[in-house]
Amino acid sequence: MPAGNKGKHRSGGSLSLKTSNKIVRKQLYVKQKKEQGKERHEERHRRRKEEAKDPKLREERLATNQPLTIERKRVWDDVDDDSLGVAVDVAELKRRRLEKEEAEAARVADGLPAEEEEKDDDADSMLDSDEELEDDDEDAEERMERLRQERAQRKPSIAPSTTSTNLDMTPDSLTRQFPNLFNEEPPVDPKVLVTTHLNGTIHKEAEDIAAIFPNSTYIRRSAHAYGHKYSVREIAKFAKNRGYTILMIVGEDLKKPSSLTIIHLNGEDVAPGPSLTYTIRNYLPGKALLGHGNPTNHYPELLLNGFKTPLGILAAKSMHTMFPPKPELQGRQVVTLHNQRDYIFFRRHRYVFREARATEKNVVTAEGKEMEGMQGIRAGLQEIGPRFTLKLRRVDKGIGRAGSEGEDALKWEWKAKMEKVRTRFNL
Amino acid sequence: MSDEIVWQIINQQFCAFKLKTTKGNNFCRNEYNVSGFCNRQSCPLANSRYATVRTSPKGTIYLYIKTIERAHMPSKWWEKIKLSQNYAEALQQIEDRLQYFPKFLLHKCKQRLTRLVQVATRMRKLAAEEDRLGEKLVPKMAPKVKHREEARERKALIAAKLERTIERELLERLRQGMYGDQPLNCSESVWKKVLHGLEKEGEGTRDKDMDEGVEDEDEEEEEEEELEEEIEDGNVEYVSDFEETDDELNDIEDWLGSDDEDDAEDDDDEDDDDDDEGDSEEDTKKKTKAGDKRKRGKVTKMKARKKKEIEVEHETDREKLLAF
Repeated sequence: MPAGNKGKHRSGGSLSLKTSNKIVRKQLYVKQKKEQGKERHEERHRRRKEEAKDPKLREERLATNQPLTIERKRVWDDVDDDSLGVAVDVAELKRRRLEKEEAEAARVADGLPAEEEEKDDDADSMLDSDEELEDDDEDAEERMERLRQERAQRKPSIAPSTTSTNLDMTPDSLTRQFPNLFNEEPPVDPKVLVTTHLNGTIHKEAEDIAAIFPNSTYIRRSAHAYGHKYSVREIAKFAKNRGYTILMIVGEDLKKPSSLTIIHLNGEDVAPGPSLTYTIRNYLPGKALLGHGNPTNHYPELLLNGFKTPLGILAAKSMHTMFPPKPELQGRQVVTLHNQRDYIFFRRHRYVFREARATEKNVVTAEGKEMEGMQGIRAGLQEIGPRFTLKLRRVDKGIGRAGSEGEDALKWEWKAKMEKVRTRFNL
Repeated sequence: MSDEIVWQIINQQFCAFKLKTTKGNNFCRNEYNVSGFCNRQSCPLANSRYATVRTSPKGTIYLYIKTIERAHMPSKWWEKIKLSQNYAEALQQIEDRLQYFPKFLLHKCKQRLTRLVQVATRMRKLAAEEDRLGEKLVPKMAPKVKHREEARERKALIAAKLERTIERELLERLRQGMYGDQPLNCSESVWKKVLHGLEKEGEGTRDKDMDEGVEDEDEEEEEEEELEEEIEDGNVEYVSDFEETDDELNDIEDWLGSDDEDDAEDDDDEDDDDDDEGDSEEDTKKKTKAGDKRKRGKVTKMKARKKKEIEVEHETDREKLLAF
């Protein structure tokens, strides 16, 4: 701080602070403080004037004056590996591999630029064909598909402008390990069965959680004390016979939701799995939120933010399959799963695109630049709830621990020692 | 003889294993005690001839025997005999081994064996049931870890800036056209504004990137079509555009003639700055870009739409300000 430095070289001031008279000391202190503040203000004032004349100065200052956040300090594993549990940015890895391949191809061709040109030509012809297609019929679906592909091909910058997760970047090892989750088939409308642990008491909360997912039912787990206790595996079997695609088990602790197990039941004649277990923290029902809205029956949009590693992609994909592929936009509901430092924040909002009020600023991108073409437009948000925070604890191959067999039954498990390094994250 | 002395001390003076109760029946904490009571018969310290049954941590049941011959070597007091898994066989083993022992000890050992076998069976059953149900997936975390996670979550939540990120993502989706050509989640006027903005932007980016260029042309075509339609319909956009240019002119005038005013504003803004110091750099960056003027320009714009008279007053006010 400049103020601190200034306080230092004004040694007389600090000496005079040592007066034994308390009242005088107080006055001196106030005086000193004032002076420091004044200096700071003057400095700011001067800077402002200078920067008004030359806006470059300001840009430079802001470019160098970046806060060093944990996100910026985040470390990645330096390996060419995309298995679960490796902290590696999938998009970055893919880009690196492509670069490597290209370099090798160039070496093989012995520095012949012709090949690259051919490649370019290819790309052009691709574009042309695309264009033709567009000319034929350009409906919304195709356009979305094209955009999606474009996004997949786009080279990710070091600081990606959007935080949204790109599921097209799925590494091959994941596809091989979880063929049911990452298949090419068009996604089906999910059907979710929600239940609690044995002798569950959190019926209201479980119902609320079930209500998040369209096409879901909550069934109480409670049974007679001496009756047969149906295991998760049995329940999964029944659910699968009834056409459910996902089974969710809500665990509780001290009458609050504390864990969430998501079991993918998959289609017929495919073994169920994987199952992902999260812990829930800070559960807040919608009713408890100030100014909350009420949900409608529309299919919500899904925002998956910040899932970068293979494990993150897995978690994101798992969440992705729990919502219908086509949202009903007229409902203007959006479900957000925002991963920040391995904590997945769940939020549900209703939004409205509106013109910005006179006092409102424009929306900026992650880099701090104004979003181009969106000046004067804002999105108003009203939270619907519930809100809670998830943290991934384990990934099993089959239905939980009991229902997974083989050497690779446990795909990944959270360990406390993983968090020793504060800047390494799993998702 | 020595047994008697030991018992005298334990009974009348002190024993580390003794647990006194108000009911007169004292308990014994010694692990080798066969009954758990503190009395002459079942005291493992005051009896040279003693026997008991215990379970190892792994679940095997052993018979422990103490004889007078080894009484002088406390480290070798206990003879440890593994008992059969079969309950009947184990009983027989105990009977054989404790043939010449006091009947009390034989009986107590058998009783203890029975209880231990029952406990083991029950434990196995519960474990199997738990395994079948598969309920417990995540073990309870240590309080230390819990607290650590709580703090980190709190900080992550702050770093996430959720509402801002969500808003940005939604607008990004709208901008990229993921909601289609006629988005259902967006009002007509806003969508027009978006298209207008994109059209402006399209010119800037066209020659940079070939891919985008192709796409942009398409979009622009559409936009132009739409704009034409609008013009046919009722010329609304043209008017507002004109107003905007007017505002811009005003702004330029402000720029030219407001050095003094600038200072006055700066004084006001300094307070703002102090407050916003903790804010991210995004805001500050934007501030320079947008400038202070811009904000006021918009205000006049809004008023222009609502009340023309006030606008006139306002402008005169501003002129006064400018005159300073």
